[in-house]
Amino acid sequence: MTVAVANLVKRFRDHTALDGVSLDVRPGEFLALLGPSGSGKTTLLRIIGGLDFPDAGTVAFAGRDVGAMAARDRKVGFVFQNYALFRHMRVADNIAFGLTVKPRGQRPTGAAIKRRVDELLALVQLPGLGGRFPAQLSGGQRQRVALARALAVDPQVLLLDEPFGALDAKVRNDLRRWLRGVHEAMGLTSIFVTHDQDEALDLADRVAVMSDGRIEQVDTPDAVYNRPATAFVADFIGNATRFDCRLADGVIEVAGVRLANTAPAAADGRGVAFIRPHEFALASAGEPGLAATVRRVAHTAARASVECVLADGRVVDVSAPLDVAAAAGEAVTLVPTTVRAYPA
Amino acid sequence: MKTTAEPGWLRWLLIAAALGFLGINLALPLAQVFAGALAKGIAVYRAAVVEPDAVAAMRLTLTVAAIAVPLNIVFGLAASWAITKFDFPGKAMLISLIDLPLSVSPVVSGLIYVLLFGLQGWAGPWLREHDIRIVFAVPGIVLATVFVTFPFVARELIPLMLEQGRSDEEAARSLGATGWQTFRRVTLPNIRWGLLYGVLLCNARAMGEFGAVSVVSGHIRGLTNTLPLHIEILYNEYNYVAAFAVASLLAGLALVTLVAKSVLEWRFGDAIAGGGH
Repeated sequence: MTVAVANLVKRFRDHTALDGVSLDVRPGEFLALLGPSGSGKTTLLRIIGGLDFPDAGTVAFAGRDVGAMAARDRKVGFVFQNYALFRHMRVADNIAFGLTVKPRGQRPTGAAIKRRVDELLALVQLPGLGGRFPAQLSGGQRQRVALARALAVDPQVLLLDEPFGALDAKVRNDLRRWLRGVHEAMGLTSIFVTHDQDEALDLADRVAVMSDGRIEQVDTPDAVYNRPATAFVADFIGNATRFDCRLADGVIEVAGVRLANTAPAAADGRGVAFIRPHEFALASAGEPGLAATVRRVAHTAARASVECVLADGRVVDVSAPLDVAAAAGEAVTLVPTTVRAYPA
Repeated sequence: MKTTAEPGWLRWLLIAAALGFLGINLALPLAQVFAGALAKGIAVYRAAVVEPDAVAAMRLTLTVAAIAVPLNIVFGLAASWAITKFDFPGKAMLISLIDLPLSVSPVVSGLIYVLLFGLQGWAGPWLREHDIRIVFAVPGIVLATVFVTFPFVARELIPLMLEQGRSDEEAARSLGATGWQTFRRVTLPNIRWGLLYGVLLCNARAMGEFGAVSVVSGHIRGLTNTLPLHIEILYNEYNYVAAFAVASLLAGLALVTLVAKSVLEWRFGDAIAGGGH
């Protein structure tokens, strides 16, 4: 099912949470809303779910306007950041809740509800735990119960607010893969909010990067990482060092080195340039480029990480081949090989 | 093995101070009430308790509590639900208004009703024409009691519901529950212990209220005297044994509510622990 929002505006008392947001989510897509806290991503998710209502703009599911529809009629599955499990109900009753509140005519029989709960417990890999209370489960188990509860009513759209935020790193990685599998197996259209770019880039089909109530870019993880559309995205995604630069005829001048701009064309004049760790080459001192001193060299990954200090005291990470010759204390020159520049 | 750094004598001193304070301020007066009531033997005690005016006062007190407490449960639930689950203009104002009966002297609360509904009051002439009696009659006593006791349930629930947040209710709504289903199956179970505690406090105050009720009652024996007013009359007539006997009834009602609360907590203790409260 497509989810389309257009020109959404939402103001809270003294700030604008959404400032004209439009987004089209394709059927079957797994889309991440990524941004720093306060960028409006959770507000957008809540408006799609019908928990908040916009001051202006439209929300449509499969081409049908649902803007005036209450949360209970939208038939979306919503997984809350703190899971919001009903603490006085056992796990099985939590999962069955959406079925037991249906109008009498549409409500499945007790036996059918029990069958469905058992199916879902098996799906979320918690068979036999239906009799527990939420307080007796681990964080990862609660998260899966919350998902089972949301899936019980057969939603076509699944909304997840920071689904892995409260979990430790190991559990988080396992759950990511598993959630992706559930999404595909059930043919859902899913939108999840995260502030963790690794999570968004690793899991999503497309990533919508948000800042200050606006969407900066909606693209595949590959494009968002390698071809950031704006200075914000270039700065926010991945590890990049920021430089002031001059733009002239599509050529960027950074620290005396002139390079072609790989970012969308920008007007001539002053700009900001972003360079990633693997986009520097190390050269001997005195060559054209940025003078730096090596502080530390670590050979702990597939490539060596060389920590350099620039003349102005800034620390720059440079990714180099494992056989790099640099040693701590050595004076070197950093030569940018690829630069993305945006108007300042 | 010692687990605390405090010396033994300090711990004993603190425990003795706490128990001593409780003994002097709570246990001793309570014992004195019962001792005074039984000073002239069980027969005199019985006579004071079954005397028609005492029975009428008892009936009136229970009637007033039976009306005021349910009203304040409904009001308290509605107000705390509105205040904690929704945002609306005038919310801060409503919170201060709920506190008003606690900050106003009960005598003033009673006087308000005399000024509104008394013979010389704002609605007095109209009420007299239609032969409706509010002040110096049961309706006035009920109104004054409702006014004085209305913060108790709401004040118990608002902090609890604020702490629990709105996400449980939002989850229920997104799962398709109606407002009533959400309230009955999610909100109410989450707040039931706070609600019970608020109801007990409200009930104790409703049965024990003196000041506001005293102003609007008119002190007509057998008709508009509640237990606290009846006790005062007996006491002023130097009828100490009867005063203490009726006081022991009132104290007995308080003890019954206390025991009821403990029994409920004990009976459902597992559910509280299992539910993570």
